[in-house]
Amino acid sequence: MNKNVAEIIDALAAHQDNASIEVLEELGTNSPDNEVREYTSRALVRKNVHDSLKIVIVNQGKGINDLSPAVAMSTINEILSLKDKSEVIKILDDTINMHSDEAVRENARSVKSLLALS
Amino acid sequence: MRINNVGITPNQKIANPFKTSRNSTTNPFQNVNFEGNTLQFADVFEGFQPQKTSKLKMITSSVAGSMTKFRNSITEPIVNFVKRIGEGLSNAWTYAKNTNVSDLAGVKAINNAMSTDIVDIGKGISNSISGFGKGISEKLNTDISDIGKGLSKKMAFLNTDVTDIGKSLGLAEKWNSLISKIHSGNKITKDTSVEDLKAMWENEIKLAEEREAA
Repeated sequence: MNKNVAEIIDALAAHQDNASIEVLEELGTNSPDNEVREYTSRALVRKNVHDSLKIVIVNQGKGINDLSPAVAMSTINEILSLKDKSEVIKILDDTINMHSDEAVRENARSVKSLLALS
Repeated sequence: MRINNVGITPNQKIANPFKTSRNSTTNPFQNVNFEGNTLQFADVFEGFQPQKTSKLKMITSSVAGSMTKFRNSITEPIVNFVKRIGEGLSNAWTYAKNTNVSDLAGVKAINNAMSTDIVDIGKGISNSISGFGKGISEKLNTDISDIGKGLSKKMAFLNTDVTDIGKSLGLAEKWNSLISKIHSGNKITKDTSVEDLKAMWENEIKLAEEREAA
């Protein structure tokens, strides 16, 4: 991955405004590069805010639902590494209960199980 | 004509014409004729006294006779040959006599060379060298100009190649990125605005796409 892109993602992760999250979602999670998607997903998890965690848990093909196992597992590991997991558990519960896609619900259920075991 | 008609019979003795009498004469060569000249020798038996006739005269007369005989016996073509040789020698002699030595071709060239002043020879050499130098100078100027043009074209070709190589290696993108950083004057930090970060990221994506296309 390009060093500049990594620095840009880190800088965006440090921002607290929703604009940075929108940029990360627009340019990072939709990137064709697996590394960029992985790095962006981890950055969104580290933000540990509702809008950023919702992107990597609810959206199909992003975060834990990414078609790349490396991206999904990396995102899950980052979630498991969070100190404050309250917001993540809340979003996981909402996804398991309300999301329309069964695969998304199944992935959310698996992650919640991992959180319970960790 | 028969022998009988002469009146001599085979049994007839002929008096020896060379028979001499010691009593009558003592010179055995008295009656011998040498081309009409009678030897002047005295009687050899009466106190031989050699005449003081010069030997040169004797030799001369002998050689004259021999030459006469030789002239009569020589063949005609040889005479003609000798005549031609004689005529050739005569012509050569006439030519040599009437021709000035300085007019001979080789002598003339030598005289011209020898009569030329060394300064003039030096001038000639100088002119030749100068002309040679001019020729070299003109050649060199032309060649260097052509070489310069050729090098210029080569350098242009190299520049084109370097550009292509830079594109293939992504050097151009890196360079543009560096230039954009310099122009922006901002280092990518958490203090960088989201808009700037987005623009920079979009630029990186564009460069990556160009790199992929290359």
